[in-house]
Amino acid sequence: MPTNNTSSNFKTFKVVLLGEGCVGKTSIVLRYVEDKFNPQHISTLQASFLTKKLTLEDGSRAHLNIWDTAGQERFHALGPIYYRGSHGAILVYDITDEDSFQKVKNWLKELKRMLGAEIVITIVGNKTDLDAQRTVPQDVALEYTESVGAHYFETSAKANEGIEELFTALTQLMIQRHAQREQETSSLRLMQGGRTSQRLIVEDDSQDGDEEGRQTPTTNRSCCGAG
Amino acid sequence: MSLARVPQLRIVQRDLKCRQGCGFYGNAQFDGLCSKCFRERNDKRKKAEQNALPPVANSPNTSGTSTAGRLSPQNLLGRVPNKRQDSMPEISTGTLTKKKSLVPAVFQKTLQSNTLKSKKLKQDGHLGQRAYVPDPTESQFMLQLRQLRIPDDGKRKLKSEIQRLDNAIRSYMNNSANKNVDELSEMVQNAYTKLADIVHNDQRFQIATNEDRESAIDFFEKVVMTQNHKFLFSPYFTLDEENDVKIQKRIRQLSWITAKHLVCSIDEVNAESRDLVYNAITELVGIDSYYSPQEKLECTVRCCRHIFELLKHSVGGPASADEFLPALIFVVLKANPVRLHSNVNFVTRFTNASRLMSGEGGYYFTNLCCAISFIENLNGESLGISEEEFDLLMSGDKAFSTPWESALLACEGLHLISENMKRMESLKKRNSSIATGIENFRKDLEEFQREITDKVDACIAKAPLTILPIKTPSHLISKARAHLANGSDIGLATAESVGHYSANLIAAISADGNTNKESTKNTLPLVKNSTNQIIDILEDASHTLALKDTSTTSIGRLSPLPPAQPNIDLQFASPIFNYTPFDAISLLEDHSDSTDDYLINTNLRGGLTNVNYDFDLSDHSGENSVTEDLKLNLEEFDPLAQKPTAESDLQATEQNGSTVERSLLDSDSPTNGTLLPSPLKPTVTDYRGFSSFEIPSISCNTGDFASLNHSVNESEITIRTTSTVIENSKAN
Repeated sequence: MPTNNTSSNFKTFKVVLLGEGCVGKTSIVLRYVEDKFNPQHISTLQASFLTKKLTLEDGSRAHLNIWDTAGQERFHALGPIYYRGSHGAILVYDITDEDSFQKVKNWLKELKRMLGAEIVITIVGNKTDLDAQRTVPQDVALEYTESVGAHYFETSAKANEGIEELFTALTQLMIQRHAQREQETSSLRLMQGGRTSQRLIVEDDSQDGDEEGRQTPTTNRSCCGAG
Repeated sequence: MSLARVPQLRIVQRDLKCRQGCGFYGNAQFDGLCSKCFRERNDKRKKAEQNALPPVANSPNTSGTSTAGRLSPQNLLGRVPNKRQDSMPEISTGTLTKKKSLVPAVFQKTLQSNTLKSKKLKQDGHLGQRAYVPDPTESQFMLQLRQLRIPDDGKRKLKSEIQRLDNAIRSYMNNSANKNVDELSEMVQNAYTKLADIVHNDQRFQIATNEDRESAIDFFEKVVMTQNHKFLFSPYFTLDEENDVKIQKRIRQLSWITAKHLVCSIDEVNAESRDLVYNAITELVGIDSYYSPQEKLECTVRCCRHIFELLKHSVGGPASADEFLPALIFVVLKANPVRLHSNVNFVTRFTNASRLMSGEGGYYFTNLCCAISFIENLNGESLGISEEEFDLLMSGDKAFSTPWESALLACEGLHLISENMKRMESLKKRNSSIATGIENFRKDLEEFQREITDKVDACIAKAPLTILPIKTPSHLISKARAHLANGSDIGLATAESVGHYSANLIAAISADGNTNKESTKNTLPLVKNSTNQIIDILEDASHTLALKDTSTTSIGRLSPLPPAQPNIDLQFASPIFNYTPFDAISLLEDHSDSTDDYLINTNLRGGLTNVNYDFDLSDHSGENSVTEDLKLNLEEFDPLAQKPTAESDLQATEQNGSTVERSLLDSDSPTNGTLLPSPLKPTVTDYRGFSSFEIPSISCNTGDFASLNHSVNESEITIRTTSTVIENSKAN
């Protein structure tokens, strides 16, 4: 569901950054939002929640809310709370770290299970400036990405390579996905009306994690409320 | 609420008393009145106000009453919210007045005079009991509604929508048999969606800007939520309250968790970061005091900003979620906010869903949810400690101490104590290390001292202070040996050639040499030396030579060794007069003598000395210079001379003293007269005695050497001595 109600051509998207600690999630987003790598020069107080407004070539505008997540293993279970309701996900791994790629696979499975197809998933191999120490071959990652229907990018936050492309492409994809769903929603709404129609949108694995606005509270409570 | 009294260090007793003067103690919260007077006054005021409408009396700025009314919106929950109350109690809930007090008072008055509007709102029916949702709040909302920059039509529409949702909520609360909070939430969310639809698409909102539309939606949410907070917040048909208690208990159990456990970079002891943590905690706890979800979210955002501020110090750059979440967990744990679940659930259920899905508030709120979830599912593994340890800490079996706990008590003193304790501990450690250092140093010193002593001892042992015997030329030694080897018979022969005096000496030496050979080795060289020297001297035939100077005396004086008896013997062997010691010692030393003789001799020393003495003295009359010299030497051996009997001793000393320089002859006559028992005695005495007895003859060179024959005279000596013993005993 679009979280943006202000105007038709200015949409807000929630993008969640997932990945193991130290793979460069924060660096990527800081490079993108502030175009800086060295944390000493960054003006923002925090790097966990950043927003960026961008206009695509076709004139469509978007407002990205980029949510950083804690990558430590012990916070892994909290993932669903973070990525609930997000439109895009950036799964980051370190191309010099095989483990982080395995983590990405886990995240991807989880995302697919919880959010189905309504989320645009990108897999990002970061630290291409360290290509000499690469342990995850590009073709392996690419193959995997295609097999799960995600999109693959390679970036270097340090060298500022591929960052802009990543976000632009992701935004493009999210806008497409959104438009597609909006169309379906409106057609369904015409037919049936009301909120029950939302359930029908869910494409294949119809979890009741249908992130329709009304149901969010329920999901939320089950995550952090029911103790 | 409290009196604006200048703070004093001392509180006078009358200040504590009720202001009414009833004699009971007053209370600052009761405006300085005692409880009874306070109630009375309130009743009075209430009545007065009920008569006077509209209730302007309670201005929004009287924060005291507003907090009082705000104490617990939750209290209202269990009750049937049917009771209508149009009266405006003095103690009314000034709920949002704090935040909204920006409005100038003038406006308020005009607003409140607008009875139409206020009445209309009142008609909507505010349910509740005494703590009734107050007019000020409503008037605030009305004011805000006016200030919204949307067309009047839109305002009207907005208001009707508010009323509609309001009524819907209330009717649900009143009528629905099976209340379900999810249904309620759905209803509210639907209303939001619907309103958003209207605001964006309705004709009446056409001219409004996007921002104004947004604020209209916000306003809608805020009004509805504030008005219905008491129904929607922690509804009685949910488990929210139980969960509140549960998580509060759990957090309390987890009070031992430190920043280290969470691997978060908060310095718990640093005063600056402590202040920032306090700020964050204040905001977090403050969430509960706001009514609308927006405000709660704003509060969360403020809390998180403090945390980022805090992290900026430790991280040195913009903090990422990796650092932020642990810090937030730490703050939640240390804050232990009240009704945490109720608040979180209230927000998640009844705020505009889009708010949670995007925006900073949504992000931080999500993080807060994560923190709560983490705390609930906390185990040893997630803290990096073993399960056993975790269980022990949870059950309180294992003691723990965190610097934060003391700080949490908001008591600077305790905090100081904890810091001081730390310092003391480190000082104690240093102190003990100093103590051990001192101990070690002491040991080292002792060791050093011992070592030095040992070394010194070793040096002393290596190079002892020994006075070596004066070396005698080897040719002399050989001569002496020759003498000794020849024995006394040869001595006699030698005496013949040299003179009987020297012969006597030689005889004595040989005898002594024999005895000494048997006894000690040490003394032997000395004996030899002295003997040799004496012999040497004698052989030189120089009588004038001072014996004392060269040989005997010098040896006797210098030698550190035990008194060399042979020396004494030698000296007595010389024609000198102190026979007593001579005799006694010689007898003692003469091992060739039979024991009986020995004993007898010792016993009868006095007698013998007397005998010898007499002889010596008499014989020495007309002695030459040599004897005089020797006599001088002998004086040094006086101690031995003391041993004779008192009379003889006295005489001896007298004589010695008197005759030192004079001719021996002078002194001889008296002693001879008294002490000469028999003329035969001298001849009978020991051969050494004989030697001395013979001395006069030596001087004349006519000595009878036969008397020196020891063996011959020995028997005679014994006889004589026994006779003297008998004589003495008879005399005694």
